[in-house]
Amino acid sequence: MVDQIMAYISTELLKDPTRQIREDEPLISSGLIDSFGLVDLALFIEDTFGIRIEDVELTSSVFDTTSELAQLISKKLPSSTP
Amino acid sequence: MAKHTPSDPSEAPSAGLFLRNVILKALLLLVILNLGFAKIDPLQELGQISLYNGLFPGRLRLPFGEDFEESYNISILQLDAMFASHKISAGSKPEDEFRVLLLGDSSVWGFLLGPDQTLSAAFNAKGYMTANDKRLRFYNLGYPTMSVLKDLLLLDFAQRYKPDLVLWFITLESLPAQKQLASPLVQYNLEPVQILINRFHLGLDPNDERFVHRTFWKQTLVGQRRQLADLLRLQLLGVMWAATGIDHDVPSSYEPPQVEISDDVTFQDFQPGELSTEDLAFDVLEAGNILMEEIPVVIINVPILLASGENNPIRYNSYYPRWAYDEYRDMLGVEAAERGWTYLDLWDAVPSQMFTDSAIHYSPKGVEQVVGRLRETILRVANQVP
Amino acid sequence: MGLIPILVFLSLSILIGLLARGKWRSWAILVVSVLSLYWLQPAIPIRHLDFWLPTLSLGLTVLVWQMIGSKNAERNRREDGITFAMIGALVFALGLTRYLGKGTFLAPTRPPNPGSIAFALLLLASLSLLITKLREKGLSLANIGAGLVLVCFILLKSQPLAEAVSRGLRVLSGQSSDLASASELQWLGFSYIAFRLLHTLRDHALDRLPPLTLREYLCYVLFFPALPAGPIDRAERFQRDLHSPASLTAKVGLEGGTRIVVGVFKKFVLADSLAYFALNAANASRVCSTAWLWIMLYAYGFRLYLDFSGYTDVAIGSGLLMGLRLPENFHQPYLKPNIAAFWNSWHITLAQWFRAYFFNPLTRTLRTAKVKLPAAAIILIGQISTMALIGLWHGIAWNFLLWGLWHGLGLFLHNRWVDMQRSHPRWFPQRLMEGHPLQVLSVFFTFHFVLLGWIPFVIPDVGQGMRLFLRLFGA
Repeated sequence: MVDQIMAYISTELLKDPTRQIREDEPLISSGLIDSFGLVDLALFIEDTFGIRIEDVELTSSVFDTTSELAQLISKKLPSSTP
Repeated sequence: MAKHTPSDPSEAPSAGLFLRNVILKALLLLVILNLGFAKIDPLQELGQISLYNGLFPGRLRLPFGEDFEESYNISILQLDAMFASHKISAGSKPEDEFRVLLLGDSSVWGFLLGPDQTLSAAFNAKGYMTANDKRLRFYNLGYPTMSVLKDLLLLDFAQRYKPDLVLWFITLESLPAQKQLASPLVQYNLEPVQILINRFHLGLDPNDERFVHRTFWKQTLVGQRRQLADLLRLQLLGVMWAATGIDHDVPSSYEPPQVEISDDVTFQDFQPGELSTEDLAFDVLEAGNILMEEIPVVIINVPILLASGENNPIRYNSYYPRWAYDEYRDMLGVEAAERGWTYLDLWDAVPSQMFTDSAIHYSPKGVEQVVGRLRETILRVANQVP
Repeated sequence: MGLIPILVFLSLSILIGLLARGKWRSWAILVVSVLSLYWLQPAIPIRHLDFWLPTLSLGLTVLVWQMIGSKNAERNRREDGITFAMIGALVFALGLTRYLGKGTFLAPTRPPNPGSIAFALLLLASLSLLITKLREKGLSLANIGAGLVLVCFILLKSQPLAEAVSRGLRVLSGQSSDLASASELQWLGFSYIAFRLLHTLRDHALDRLPPLTLREYLCYVLFFPALPAGPIDRAERFQRDLHSPASLTAKVGLEGGTRIVVGVFKKFVLADSLAYFALNAANASRVCSTAWLWIMLYAYGFRLYLDFSGYTDVAIGSGLLMGLRLPENFHQPYLKPNIAAFWNSWHITLAQWFRAYFFNPLTRTLRTAKVKLPAAAIILIGQISTMALIGLWHGIAWNFLLWGLWHGLGLFLHNRWVDMQRSHPRWFPQRLMEGHPLQVLSVFFTFHFVLLGWIPFVIPDVGQGMRLFLRLFGA
């Protein structure tokens, strides 16, 4: 799951498939992903995992790294087993 | 501090203990700072620290103002700070300068006039030279309260700026002995005023209860907070003075002085015939002359508005009933002659349409009238100085 | 808010932090908050309005709480009833201070007579009941609530409307309507209260809001340190903190105390000093030289930041003393290398609010619409409209709109610039972009972009602002 997210971020948002993103790398607070990119990321996750990311969740206080985002997705998946 | 607190943060008493320590230490520090400040009493030295005449140009008149948001100026009563912000403190006097000080009330300070429209500014614009090629430079030391003792106080302080000539503008309103100590500037500067009263045996009470006494407690940091804040404010307002050249809010319109005046015959507390030489502080004027020794002092009775209304036979204007003002002029003339003062009576030198909002405030045109009438005397006296 | 309220708040916060435990903490916070609502309210010349506006804040909060009552949550009706009775009694008691003569120290002016206060409280109780009944019938009133809050907001923030309201109120109170002015309607804290109410209404509609008791909700919306100048915070976060078992410890006490001291220094020493020569509409036209004009603009920029962030420090510090960690509102905003980073660090809670409730939904809608717009167009629309709204939050006027557009355009251009860098990495060598000297230049550029943006913010007249802008560049 984390890999899928990372691939999307580096290819689609950062437009640099060679860019390596660390699991604990801040994405939002560092400005790596801007507010528009965040909405696109949410739409991608919703399409890919079939869950809903609320607009109010798109903030660094809810998730800032790919691992935190993965946790959020896991919690929302129907078969919620961490 | 951390030593006193156990590492377990959930213990409430530790926080109370910690708080107690913090408060105790803060109080101790506060007490030490206050006592130290009171002991050193550095207000005077602090007043001499100024960004004026350095970062900002010096002010063209002494700081005075009621509304700093409009006038970028505040009233401050500490002489060191007042003069430190004034252009007169900019470096030592140049060799080729003939320095003239102007003393007086709001008519000299320039109420409702810009700093470049006052009497001293108008004099400076003339570019007068002495016979031995010195340039006359005029400094505005007027201050808007009516008391010649206040003028003497300022003159005493200003001696250090090495004046060559003093123009002392007076009017009856600033002469009654009982009014001398009413000026806040006089009340605040107790020590120098007491010295002046004692030195010249002035007919004033050096222990008058209106004086502001500086007790030890008033000298602490807490006691001096207003004065300290004012010192800071005066410096901060320097930015706006430098940026705008404004030190006084001149409204675009104001009430002209009354032409229709009352038929009241009293002057202050005096009934007709009650005013005598003893009631007027001529001794303060004499003290100024003695104080300056060889330096000439010219005393000028300033022009007043001659109101044309129905009660013109009783009063000249809202300040003066005719009898009091006429007697004052007579007395001043006699005193000046007896004591050998250089004296000029300009009481009717300014036509009534050249006054602004009161019977002693002139418009720029009125200022020109005064300047024109004084030119000859100033140059004559200046050229007599060796 | 002056130094005295801050000292009072500090003492009360310490007392609450040291003594109040469990539910007593929220009771203490509630009582102090309700009293502060009246105490901090500036006096208004319109008769009794300075009593009715805080009462209206309180009433709106209660009504909105009724609207967001969750269907499935077990409501502690008895406890909510006690809370309601408690604030009713408090307001009524405040009203009775009118008989203390000059001792009406908790209300800005003499309160209205007890009869009208009782009537207002009864009206509030009936409306509350009505809303509960309607809600039980399955009618959602959240949109009406949001509309009501927005209407109040617009009336307050628009100069002509506020003046009309002032005139109307003056007629109602039998006072001369000639003296009506928009500046009369000073409603303490409403800008922030409104945004807290709107956020909970919206989250309720999204079914994201945890059940809140009336006391919790009132504490959140009216939390006294954050009344005058924010931050806005989020209800679920606030509720978590309110139930945390924290009591005042030495470490937190020191942190909170330091925050307050720093805040007081920033606001009352630095900002108030800068205020003596900070740019404003009156002094701008009197300045003779460009250099001084720049200095006054710098002074304004720093005064604004130090004033606002100083207040925030005091609010956060007071919160800490009571065991509540309010969100940060500023994070060195003037040291950011680009305008997007600036908006992640300036008035953070407001920017996040608009992102969550306006920008994100709008962008999502445009992104998933049938008519596909190019990404750039969506970004332009999103940024410009969001920033325009943030501008209008400060006041419904052309100058604030202009300020918002300035920043919206800045954000859009920055986004395009970053996009260009990412799409054409060869044009922009990595070492050049992240090199240190350039970073300093970016900070310098961003700061001055923000600084120039303050001109329309501080000068209400757009024409005068434009002329000033040109003068700064020697024209």
